[in-house]
Amino acid sequence: MDVNQYLEIFLDETKEHLESLNTQILNLEQEPEDSDTINEIFRAAHSLKGMAGTMGYKRMQNLTHDMENVFSEIRNGTMKVNSNLIDTLFQCLDALEEYTNNIQETADEGTNENQQLINQLNEYLKASKEGGEVSAPSEEVKENGKETSEENKAEEAWKDIKLGESERVVLEAAKSQGKGIFGISVFVEESCLLKAARAFQVYKEIEEKAEIIVCNPPVQDIEDEKFDLSFSLIVVSDYELEGVIKEAKNVSEIEKIVIVPYEVAETAEAPETKEGTAAVAVKEETKPAAPAKPQQGASAKANDKKPAGKPVANRTVRVDIEKLDVLMNLVSELIIAKNSMVADSRAEGGTGFREHIEYLESVTTNLHESVMKVRMVPIESVVSKFPRMIRDLSKKLNKKMELYMSGEETELDRTVVDEIGDPLMHLLRNAADHGLESNELRIKRGKPEVGSIFLNAYQDGNNVVIEVKDDGNGIDVESVKNKAIERGVITPDQAATMSEKDIINLLFHAGFSTAKTISDVSGRGVGLDVVKSKIESLSGEVEVKSSLEEGSTWTIRLPLTLAIIQALMVTVGGEKYAVSLGSIQTIEDISPDDVKLVENREVINLRGSVIPIIRLSDELDIESSKAPDENIMVVIVKKGERLAGLVVDELIGQQEIVIKSLGKYISKCRIISGATILGDGEVALILDANALI
Amino acid sequence: MDELKVSGLDGADVKAGYDTQQYIVIKLGHEQYGIDIKFIDNIVRMQHITRVPKVADYLKGVINLRGEVIPVMSLRLKMNLAADEFTKATRIIILKLEQHGTIGVIVDEVREVVTLSPSQIERASYDGKEDKTSFIMGIGKHENELISLLDLNAVALEK
Repeated sequence: MDVNQYLEIFLDETKEHLESLNTQILNLEQEPEDSDTINEIFRAAHSLKGMAGTMGYKRMQNLTHDMENVFSEIRNGTMKVNSNLIDTLFQCLDALEEYTNNIQETADEGTNENQQLINQLNEYLKASKEGGEVSAPSEEVKENGKETSEENKAEEAWKDIKLGESERVVLEAAKSQGKGIFGISVFVEESCLLKAARAFQVYKEIEEKAEIIVCNPPVQDIEDEKFDLSFSLIVVSDYELEGVIKEAKNVSEIEKIVIVPYEVAETAEAPETKEGTAAVAVKEETKPAAPAKPQQGASAKANDKKPAGKPVANRTVRVDIEKLDVLMNLVSELIIAKNSMVADSRAEGGTGFREHIEYLESVTTNLHESVMKVRMVPIESVVSKFPRMIRDLSKKLNKKMELYMSGEETELDRTVVDEIGDPLMHLLRNAADHGLESNELRIKRGKPEVGSIFLNAYQDGNNVVIEVKDDGNGIDVESVKNKAIERGVITPDQAATMSEKDIINLLFHAGFSTAKTISDVSGRGVGLDVVKSKIESLSGEVEVKSSLEEGSTWTIRLPLTLAIIQALMVTVGGEKYAVSLGSIQTIEDISPDDVKLVENREVINLRGSVIPIIRLSDELDIESSKAPDENIMVVIVKKGERLAGLVVDELIGQQEIVIKSLGKYISKCRIISGATILGDGEVALILDANALI
Repeated sequence: MDELKVSGLDGADVKAGYDTQQYIVIKLGHEQYGIDIKFIDNIVRMQHITRVPKVADYLKGVINLRGEVIPVMSLRLKMNLAADEFTKATRIIILKLEQHGTIGVIVDEVREVVTLSPSQIERASYDGKEDKTSFIMGIGKHENELISLLDLNAVALEK
């Protein structure tokens, strides 16, 4: 079966299940007895296994299968959850994530068998089975033991078939011709929704390879779903044991198919036990600890066939059907509006034209809003991995801490959500490593021993705010200052004049780390400046507030969407340009006499601060339409902490603009970040204030 | 609409054999050039071009083509001819190229569609004397007229 077309869905759903597993296993650690959680985990693991199996990712399937076994034991109450088990499970999830990433990049799961993890899981299984005894037989034996006990039941199923006289004759004839006679039992999964369909599929597959002599229950009953979870067949075939059911076992939602050579002799008891070893129990899941099994070989072959190295990750957004309904409605309204305008233009006079335009305007505004919403996804997909991370950090750093999250449902543009994960992770790691004090120090300071880290997200007007807060030590301004001087970032003279806020902002300076010891958690000095530049590249900003011994708060402010921005339209030499409103501080009318020269650069003195000015006409290679002695219009823009004044000819006004790419053909122009189409159909370029400063 | 759909230009010539190629004949000054029709997306009348600063001189800027922002270049400047004079006949030919995406080129005039069979095309000889030669991949002969066939990838290539 060509499964490539399902790859995207598979990846999406796998990620979802992994996320849910992560969260649920964390819950499980808190409440080991909660049956809802366990059921949820079991379901997710089961779906994962099924999906991996369908897609032919055997290694992934093997691992999930064993995880599922463990979950099943937990669900049955025969296994107790402990911290070690949770650790192992998390490692399994990491391994699964690795498989998923491999699949996303190359359509292949990779070659890591994760045998060690599988063994660990089996150890737990064994321990629970044997009541914690260590002197248990090797896992292989145990696995087989378990298998046989299941098989015994299974094998008996087809033995129940009563043979009529005519069937007996057929079988004997077949036997004398040297054909193989097999008894087959098929077990459908309990969760299977279309039992009849699945059973019939198996029936069909077997029918292709073998002549079906007896079927119990009769075929008609199977089609009508008048059977429990299993059915049995006696078949005559030219093929070998395995060959007969080779295709049939590919049918999904079949728990297993057992095939055993059938003895026509009435006392079928003797071969039973002997055949026990020869019986091929083809479970849908391959046995993990037997890499030499034929299935493994087959899976390797199947993998080879896949196009290697072809990237498979297409970015998709899952859209709530309600949002699409709203869109659909708006489009129909748009058509109505158009129709009424058409009708009006035909009619004499055309009185209601203004009305129609107003109507059209409201429809387009709503349409724009809805389309924007379609691109929005909740940040949950990013933040849901953090509790797990904090748990790991807590163990690694040997500090007790707890993460409290709120506002996971806050929505952001898909492109922003994809990018925001790393910066947030960095801030959280920082909070855990540098922010929170050691357990002892916290007790000494009279704080609760368990440190708290908060991750809050909420919408604020046209922005989304994400806060990372801790109740730890806060930022030691003096220590930052000393470090900055030591590193040569600032001079002692500068330090003396800097405000506390300015000094804290030095943390965002490249190559700055105050951690006294470098750990693998943080403290390599490539953290906060990366966070800052990442967030700025998303047109956002990051701020920090801190008070010593009480904790610090990092605030990230992001625009709701990147595709549409508020901009100030200006003209320079008769050409129209847009400047993002986000970067604009103020607009000043300056007399040419107030422009001074400092180090050969033009500056203005604006309420005490000296701001360099940039004449846009020079930057854009165009003649200014203003005479040199006229007052100049200066748009003050901000990049991080730096200000600059852009000299423009005229202001047109504020406008909401849709950002269009200039295309790769004209990509060399650094100061232009894109273009937009104005109301009259003309193209205006968007100036990148950051590149100008 | 001020657009001239290419499909409207086809007509009788379409019936030609499968190994023939259709070219749109354009004029630059007194010379005739042919552009392979399969690269042409659209032909639009001259419209306002928004200048983009700090790019090569032959890149005249960008235009709005039904909501898309498309770069436009002057074929004359690219081929080191005298600068364009915009007249009523001036057109922008929108090309869709695999490597370079969508680009508009300004031409003096669009004349007709011709169908050329391989026998009517003479491959260009690279004598390297003239700068223009590198943009031409062959000469087409059609009704006693010579048409220089443009190598569009060379035209689009940035210098």
